[in-house]
Amino acid sequence: MARIPIVLTINRERHEALVEPDRTLLDVLRTDLGLTGTKTNCLDAECGVCTVLVDGLAVNSCLYLAVVAQGRAITTIEGLAPAGEGPAPAGTLHPLQQAFVEHGAVQCGYCIPGMILSAKAYLDDHPRPSEAQVREALAGNLCRCTGYQKIVDAVLDAAGRMAGSVTS
Amino acid sequence: MSAAPRVVGHSLPRLDAPGKVTGSAVYAADFALPGMLYGKVFRSAEPHARLARLDTSRAAGLPGVRAVISASDVPDVRYGAAVKDEPVFASDVVRYVGQPVAAVAAVTLEAAEAALAAIEAVYEPLPPVLDLAAALAPGAPLIHPEWRSYTANPILQRDGNVCNRARIVVGDVERGWVEADRVFEHRFTTAMVHQGYTEPRAAVAAWDSSGQVTVWSNTQLPFDVQATLADILAIAPSKIRVIVPGVGGGFGGKLRIGVEHFAALLARKSGRPVKVLTTSEEELTAAYPRQGTVIELKTGVTREGRLTARQGRIYFDTGAFAGSGPGVASVATLVLAGPYRTPNLHLEGYAVYTNKTNCGSYRAPSGPQANFAVESQMDIIADALGIDPLELRLRNIVHEGDEGPTGQVLTAVGLEECLRRAAAAIGWRDRRPEPGRGKGLACGWWTTTGGSSGVYVKINPDGTVALNTGAVEIGTAALTGAAQVLAESLGVDLADITVVSGDTFATPFDFGAQGSRTAFAVGNACRAAAAELQRKLFALAAVQLGVSEEALALRDKHVVGPSGRVSLADLARQSQQAGGGMIAHGTFIAPGTAYDTKRVEGHVYPAFHSPSFHAHAVDLTVDEATGEVTIHKYVVAQDVGFALNPTYIEGQIEGGVAQGLGQTLSEEIVYRDGRVLNANLTDYKMPTSLDVPRIESILVEHPGGVGPFGAKGVGEPPNVEPPAAVANAIAAAGGGRITSLPITAEKIVLASRREAG
Repeated sequence: MARIPIVLTINRERHEALVEPDRTLLDVLRTDLGLTGTKTNCLDAECGVCTVLVDGLAVNSCLYLAVVAQGRAITTIEGLAPAGEGPAPAGTLHPLQQAFVEHGAVQCGYCIPGMILSAKAYLDDHPRPSEAQVREALAGNLCRCTGYQKIVDAVLDAAGRMAGSVTS
Repeated sequence: MSAAPRVVGHSLPRLDAPGKVTGSAVYAADFALPGMLYGKVFRSAEPHARLARLDTSRAAGLPGVRAVISASDVPDVRYGAAVKDEPVFASDVVRYVGQPVAAVAAVTLEAAEAALAAIEAVYEPLPPVLDLAAALAPGAPLIHPEWRSYTANPILQRDGNVCNRARIVVGDVERGWVEADRVFEHRFTTAMVHQGYTEPRAAVAAWDSSGQVTVWSNTQLPFDVQATLADILAIAPSKIRVIVPGVGGGFGGKLRIGVEHFAALLARKSGRPVKVLTTSEEELTAAYPRQGTVIELKTGVTREGRLTARQGRIYFDTGAFAGSGPGVASVATLVLAGPYRTPNLHLEGYAVYTNKTNCGSYRAPSGPQANFAVESQMDIIADALGIDPLELRLRNIVHEGDEGPTGQVLTAVGLEECLRRAAAAIGWRDRRPEPGRGKGLACGWWTTTGGSSGVYVKINPDGTVALNTGAVEIGTAALTGAAQVLAESLGVDLADITVVSGDTFATPFDFGAQGSRTAFAVGNACRAAAAELQRKLFALAAVQLGVSEEALALRDKHVVGPSGRVSLADLARQSQQAGGGMIAHGTFIAPGTAYDTKRVEGHVYPAFHSPSFHAHAVDLTVDEATGEVTIHKYVVAQDVGFALNPTYIEGQIEGGVAQGLGQTLSEEIVYRDGRVLNANLTDYKMPTSLDVPRIESILVEHPGGVGPFGAKGVGEPPNVEPPAAVANAIAAAGGGRITSLPITAEKIVLASRREAG
């Protein structure tokens, strides 16, 4: 299959790649660009571990074609801190990341990048959500370790922190 | 230690959290090497057949394909935990849909997949054995006609399709039936379920010019994988380095060798590094799920509700190879006894071959199935006798100093407190608050698995501490717990500790992340290392401070004497200059648990070490029309001995219950005619954030005598009781007595129609 040169804007940085038209964004992020913070599992948009933000919307990158991502702003977990403005200095965490650490919301951690980005997309539009709304927003992200409780608590706590800060 | 603990007992954030929330933590599935090939496994399409022909020549000639291997390319060995019955690739006979037949490596995943499609296999079907009844029927076809020739643990009682029959006999059940006023007999069934870890099994293998292979894997047991690879590759373990970068969940599904051997064999053949990563379809058709079971339970009881005898048989559908079945069947008999005083017991666990995927270990192996039967029947008995289910349990539960089923003496028994507190928290007095709504409870006991652990602990010249352990962090925060024990023992902060783990060349041996043992055993090894470091530090410091070693203490990152102190950093620097560094080797092996050997046969797990006790209670509503179950509240009271880190113990409870609710209400690997019908994550229905209720954790602390600060194993127990607790609540709510897992809405509706006549 003929390869196509594309330009992707990921975490506010410009990346060039040469990809087949059927390559997924997930595969290009992980294999071509080494951004393995975005995780791989079901490859069928069932589990949510590959969630990234495209123009602020949470998408399953395993079913999102890389060529379609051209011209759009892509945010991966590596670009979240401090507020989606490029790679973070060591030790700087986004309020969502900080809340996940403090609430014990992380166990194996494999679902966490996708979980945090789904939460980010939702909170950006719904700064003061109810618990039920958070649970609805995260329903596309499977977690097998935590039972979701501490994740939901972390998102609700982060919502409060983000609503009270100017950088969110 | 006299002062209040500074580090243990506190809900401190886990050490690996920052890497996991920023995406910098590297898991095995993320691992890559330059020039790496992608490996794929060609799997049997038949449940039971003679492999008449296998032609890989066309696949081998495709562009980008660098290696194709099948049985004729690999050593003719069989491997396995209890029975060495499994070949790397099927050669003459395939025994389940999904069994590996060949493997390929290619420069891209797409090229590897194209090669799989070009492999031609011709099968001559044999009669398949598709369930327990068929496997146990007189004259049933043997899955392994050559079973007698296999190397196996000599304790096992094997016979044809039965790869172990474990038994506990206590007293005389015939006498118990005579003493009983009522005898209850029930049959329960449970479905095959998958651990559901979010990171697929993964391995990258690379050989060097000296004939050494390095395998980066997400196994829970790097040393077990090293030993199995030595068998399969026919090379010495010292040539095999297994490194575990990070593990995205295991729950027992990543104990035994997964895809490491395919990566290593393909890498040897191709001369290039090879990565193998499983798909969801492979996970649900060819992994190590929890065995489906059939359970027959007969219990005698007096009018007052005193248990007189129990006879139980639990049959595990362990699939085409023994896997963990023989051990799981053994453990099951201890669960079938329940945490109850029962004078007469006759309990058997059978591991049975069928033409399905090889089953393994899944968080508290056998626990949820056997407990579902025991605790469902306790409620049936309570209802029949007109005794409150809580009261019936309180009349029979074990207490301090009682005997377990095999004669072990039980200590630190917090069960009564667990039951009373769980019942109080759920509002037990009002058990049927409104039509369609009911409350249920269930209790149980579980083990803290033994096995040895070693750690190296080094004090760095800046006064921080390096913990080097062969254990693996699979997500439970067990190694953070162990680090808390180490920090407490050395008088430093948790943040001062860095952990290096899971590398068969660079870390000391550890029995691995299994059986709720990691924080317990590694924590104790840390205590031993800290004691050794203390001796070395005090010897150095005593000279400098001019006092005797007896006058010294470890506090606030210093060795402190009556009138002066010296920092750990200074002492470590001095040791580096003159003594080769401040380092200690700490080890731990759990002491054996005494039991009566005459009570058991075929039993590879005859006692529960440092047992934990627990009770679950649930409040739910059943929709009479649709059978839908809505859980309002779920409470767990668990005797954890001592809570090393309460937040992460709650995390174990919340996650274990969520997983248990999946097994209870929605999860099942559905086989028809030997084929899995739902090998994807849409049709294999794991709970989402909308399905799991809030869970209240009550941490009960009856300190044990062995674990660090009295801690007991905590990871597996929360998975044991959810099926029974929910089944009992559904019955209380008027949804009928469902004796088959999962308890789907369909089963509830059908049961209520039957009861309505």
